[in-house]
Amino acid sequence: MNFPAQQGSRNIAGVSLITALFLFPGAFAEGVDFEKEIKPFLEKKCLGCHNPNIAKGDVILAGAGHVFAEGSELIVRGDALKSDLYLVATPAEPGEIPEMPEEGDALTDAEAALLKTWIDEGAVWPDELVLHEASKSDKSWWAYQPLSDSPHQSIDAFIEAGLRKEGLAMNPPADRRVLIRRATYDLTGLPPTQEDVTAFVNDSDPDAYPKLIDRLLASPRYGERWGRHWLDVVRFGESKGYERNVIIDNAWPFRDYVIDSINDDKPFDQFIREHVAGDVFGAGDPEVEIGSAFLVGGPYDDVGNKDVVAAAQIRANTLDEIISATGEAFLGMTIGCARCHDHKFDPISHRDYYSLYATFSGVRHNSRPLASPEATAAREAALKPLNAEKVSLAATLKKLEGQLNKRVRSKLPDYEKRWVRPKVSRTLTEETFAPVRARFVRLVSEALDTNPNNAAGFRIDEFEIFSSGENPRNVALLSNGATATGAARSIEDFPGAYGPQLAIDGKLGARFVSTGTDLTIELPEVTEIDRVVFSSGRNEETFVHGKFAFVADYRIEVSDDGKKWREVAHGRDRKPVSASHEMVRLRRGEATREETDAIQLAKSNLAAVDRKIAAVPALPSVWLGTRSKADAKGPFHIFLGGSPQKKGERVVAASLSTLSEVAPLYELAPEADEAARRSALADWIVDEKNPLSLRVLANRIWHYHFGTGIVETPNDFGYMGGRPSHPELLDFLARRLQENGWKLKPMHREVMLSKAYQQSSTWNDAAGKVDGESRLLWRFPPRRLSAEEIRDTVLAVSGQLDLKMGGPGFRLYKFMQDNVCTYEPLDEHGPETYRRAVYHQNARASVVDLMTEFDQADCSFSTPKRSETTTPLQALTLLNHQFTMDMAKGLAAAIGKRGGNPVTSAFELAYQRAPAAEELAQSEKVINEHGIEAFCRALLNSSELIYLD
Amino acid sequence: MNSPLDLTRRRFFGDVSTGLMGAGLIQLLGGEYVSAAGDLTVKWSPGSGKPHFPAKAKRVLQIFCPGAASHMDLWEHKPMLEKMDGKPLPGEENMVSFQGKNGPLMRSPWAFQPAGESGKMFSSMLPHMAQHVDDIAFFHGMTSKTNTHGPGCVFVNTGHATEGFPSAGAWTSYALGSLTDNLPTYVALPDVRGEPPNGKANWSNGFLPARHQAIVMAAHQPIRNLERPEGVSAAEERGTRGLLDFFNRRHASMRPEETELQARISAYELAAKMQMSAPEVSNFASEPKHIHQLYGTDSNNELKAAYARNCLLSRRLLERGVRYVNLYCASRASGVDGLLNWDAHKTLKHDYERHCPVFDQPTAALLTDLKQRGMLDDTLILWTTEFGRMPTRQEGTAGRDHNPDGFTLWMMGAGVKGGTSYGATDDFGRRAERNPTSVWEYYSTVLHLLGLDYEKLSWYHNGLDRRLTDVHGKVIRQVLA
Repeated sequence: MNFPAQQGSRNIAGVSLITALFLFPGAFAEGVDFEKEIKPFLEKKCLGCHNPNIAKGDVILAGAGHVFAEGSELIVRGDALKSDLYLVATPAEPGEIPEMPEEGDALTDAEAALLKTWIDEGAVWPDELVLHEASKSDKSWWAYQPLSDSPHQSIDAFIEAGLRKEGLAMNPPADRRVLIRRATYDLTGLPPTQEDVTAFVNDSDPDAYPKLIDRLLASPRYGERWGRHWLDVVRFGESKGYERNVIIDNAWPFRDYVIDSINDDKPFDQFIREHVAGDVFGAGDPEVEIGSAFLVGGPYDDVGNKDVVAAAQIRANTLDEIISATGEAFLGMTIGCARCHDHKFDPISHRDYYSLYATFSGVRHNSRPLASPEATAAREAALKPLNAEKVSLAATLKKLEGQLNKRVRSKLPDYEKRWVRPKVSRTLTEETFAPVRARFVRLVSEALDTNPNNAAGFRIDEFEIFSSGENPRNVALLSNGATATGAARSIEDFPGAYGPQLAIDGKLGARFVSTGTDLTIELPEVTEIDRVVFSSGRNEETFVHGKFAFVADYRIEVSDDGKKWREVAHGRDRKPVSASHEMVRLRRGEATREETDAIQLAKSNLAAVDRKIAAVPALPSVWLGTRSKADAKGPFHIFLGGSPQKKGERVVAASLSTLSEVAPLYELAPEADEAARRSALADWIVDEKNPLSLRVLANRIWHYHFGTGIVETPNDFGYMGGRPSHPELLDFLARRLQENGWKLKPMHREVMLSKAYQQSSTWNDAAGKVDGESRLLWRFPPRRLSAEEIRDTVLAVSGQLDLKMGGPGFRLYKFMQDNVCTYEPLDEHGPETYRRAVYHQNARASVVDLMTEFDQADCSFSTPKRSETTTPLQALTLLNHQFTMDMAKGLAAAIGKRGGNPVTSAFELAYQRAPAAEELAQSEKVINEHGIEAFCRALLNSSELIYLD
Repeated sequence: MNSPLDLTRRRFFGDVSTGLMGAGLIQLLGGEYVSAAGDLTVKWSPGSGKPHFPAKAKRVLQIFCPGAASHMDLWEHKPMLEKMDGKPLPGEENMVSFQGKNGPLMRSPWAFQPAGESGKMFSSMLPHMAQHVDDIAFFHGMTSKTNTHGPGCVFVNTGHATEGFPSAGAWTSYALGSLTDNLPTYVALPDVRGEPPNGKANWSNGFLPARHQAIVMAAHQPIRNLERPEGVSAAEERGTRGLLDFFNRRHASMRPEETELQARISAYELAAKMQMSAPEVSNFASEPKHIHQLYGTDSNNELKAAYARNCLLSRRLLERGVRYVNLYCASRASGVDGLLNWDAHKTLKHDYERHCPVFDQPTAALLTDLKQRGMLDDTLILWTTEFGRMPTRQEGTAGRDHNPDGFTLWMMGAGVKGGTSYGATDDFGRRAERNPTSVWEYYSTVLHLLGLDYEKLSWYHNGLDRRLTDVHGKVIRQVLA
């Protein structure tokens, strides 16, 4: 069944009636009106390629300046037959296909005639008139019209009218067990219990079903289920994405806000306004401000780039993500497609896009404290005296150190006499000493060359130990049985990447990255040695980088047993590597006990006050985004072709021109601050005259109830999207939503109490031939559970589900970070993961077994609808992952607890029905042969568990 | 351009769950049910195994060297760098790139020498690869949209620099489906050193259905959840599976028109087949000694041996009908640039003296082995990296910064004209100068070789018919045999 594209498309077909009436050029007496008669078909048929962005074949037909350029024969005023434009756009011989356009319809005869006349008349093209590519649809598109008046007053009347037209009718009502399962999953994402089902099936109250719906809507599980839908729409994820993909541990308050708001039935217009500008009109109220975390809920590139052109592009990408998400989530508009040029399909201009760019320009991805003014003031009051104390103590310390430095500097000449050897060298440092027999040799760092006050963190690419005697050889080699130890930076998924073994592997390049102060080498046997040679950047021409951080002060020690050490060499008689190293050495040598004690005391006082400051509870820091005044400062421009390097005309924050015929307009002054810009947009999105936001929201609700929206592309109500299967019903629902103050719960009730919702899902061949996808709703479309529902169901029927709400999420992966982050799926899921899946900390681009296999959305984009795939990997995961085994054990225990026949108990828990005789027999056979868990594992894999009628 | 009216049709074919009409087992996974590859009497539909037009290549091996492997140190000889070593880059004396300021020009630390009959100048760091130059078509004028690793890798794998788009392998799986019902259609083999920049997004299905994602398996990493759980005996497994099959068939029989329920039963059967086949493919015991030696699986360089095993595994996967293999040599940006991958910012010479020996022999062996088995006739081989490197040294270092403006990718095998060098960077290797080629054009060519029209292979997503080549593309005919 297809739904016709005709409506709204009358302007696409294009040719104006007036022009079509003129069949012969001679019919024009005089004066072709360029703007009315020529511009429309040029825009529709030529500008797609010949616009300033694409300039195909270097031909641009946008303005007089392009067309009448020096030397151009595109249009020769007064002579169409010498004008290239006319020649390529009309057939050389009658009946042939003209050269242009390469794609799409050629000019009609009437258009060709108009073009000829216009050129022959002198091709008057007003200077200020600039042509734009025409989008496929325009402002008369169905989605941008005011809500229509309803011919019917109930959902069923619309559905029945649609079915009647095709000679179809609804199925009979579903049986009660099916209905309660359907409704319970739909509103809570969890199965009902056997007891719920029995009570409902036996309830003779005519209002039993409406009461059931009310009970489900009142359950906190409702917000978890429908909150999850909304989190898909707003592409909520808890890692930054891109190369580093750092996890975000303080984004969960937004998830809780969504769940709570939906449970509270917060009016959605308010909810949407909070998403766009909650921090503006809710400033100081954490429960409102948190909504604006939406803006920074998407992925962004935080790698950093010194190349200013690339950095500007990355910033533009970040804002693009916010613009696209906003358009898709609230307006069903694919605004992102107008980034490089006017939208090719919908009436969304390049300018509209950059108006939103100006609107969101101040948003930066970041955390900030989220607290009431009272809490903030209380914290500041507590900190004030401590900070004052800190300032005074820091001054004391500075003074003491200054005095000491001044005094010891006078001793420098004495010391310089002792510093007889050259500075240490990163490329090669050598120490010789009297021959000594040793089994262990170690390098102990006393100061790094990058920081005299820190000894830990040096690098060594090779450390050699030479035997004494005639033929010295390096006895510290892995290949000869030596071993190296020392604290090293580590990577969990590639152990040894920076390990101490690299210092004795006989190879340069990769180096030991110490995190401690020593490198210890054990020789294969006691050996007489007299020399060590070591480096961090041997043979490197340039070795100044931190990659080669080296020891500045050090000692070499030897040992027989690795316990008692003896110093054999040191670098203290070398020249210091820098002035600050010099000072540290002087102080170490010259400071008196009193001086040292006084400095130490000042330091510990300072540390004490720092501890007190740290002990004042921090305000909750939330991934809410910050606002940058500098970024928000205009002027803003259109970026031609989407490139920040090609600035076009100026733009200001403004309403979208798409809805200029129906919704109110605004255009802010360039100096309007960024808060005002977002507020204006927020108000405009939910303005009572804006039909789009209401239609989009009503359609989403329908989509989640029936599996397919009235418009089957919930994020796209434009030309590329689907057409409404029931346009008048959609408007009816949108109006009802408005009448109910944008509250969802009354709408759920209205939908779920319809006959359309309550009918059975039984297939019917005759109806299926006409409408195989049940878009007309001759039956209720059956569905598979979502990934979250599957996991929650398995936990629930196994008696393991932990219903704790809110707070930091759990993880089904192991998180690892070594510059960039890696997410490794876990082989075992502990009880801390037995919460509802909506509380999983979803990181971007991280595969998590069952969740991903069953089509959990990747939160890189707004996901308006989930796929429903069936794959062998699902089977492998659900059969073999330890989670299933643990749950089989849990289910076995739950069966035991329930008592009675184990198979009957299991069926009641899992399917809320009794087993048929053959099911009982087959199940008992398996239980007898292989035990109850073997049976439970089969049950947890069964189709009936995860498909709903 | 698909009309909006195709939406329902696309959905019909796009999702297994709704698109099954009495199809057999293999079609459930988008298998090939039209035997003759060139038979065009049946119209193309996603996953039907049918190309748009007769294909040269049936399967793809994509080798990826993450970290931005330097074009002028491996593939494209730049004599001018030798002449002007230490002098400023003319016209860009104060260039600031990804990590900051650049110093003077830096010659490649290694000599280039003529290779093959074509005598193409080739880095002496890749002596084994040099044997294959006459079979390779180099794209020396590549350009990228980004100078950052993560977006760069994702761009070269998905045609888009932002996350969330399907990878080339996923598109291939969607377009052509499977050649076997025993193994996955699309396999990614990450390096033993870890995942590439941006990790799993590189082999993602994006917004395509989940079955088009790559299955991760490598010699060091078996397919997840493949094995029967510990403590479950073979007999118990049979009991559980038998009962499950009974449950599912009974449930489906009451809903005979719900094809996804049949699909689910088949998925369990396919899973069982995969459980048999996957361990076999990873078991190298049947490979003769000379093959192990050819690849270097016995090398005492552990990284080389590990990569060699993945090369060998790749051949075995391709041989057994895997449609698309995405093989990685090196991993991500670590705490030290250039340590775990080809990102030689500071110490190019040392870094590449570690990476080249890992890459060279095993990769060359894989190409040789495929050639000897006649598999190059219908296997397309791609070598990719995210972008190139600067001809200059980074200020104060002996390494090179990121360069998205010119670099090399190559391809060989089915339908590719070997011994070709298409495009070139300028004298220094700084920018693509002759025949600059976009990643989209590269993939237009790849799809063309697979018998697919890059403009027709699309999937509707949030407002657009999305394509591997975005809104761009052009088949580079100069490299076609």
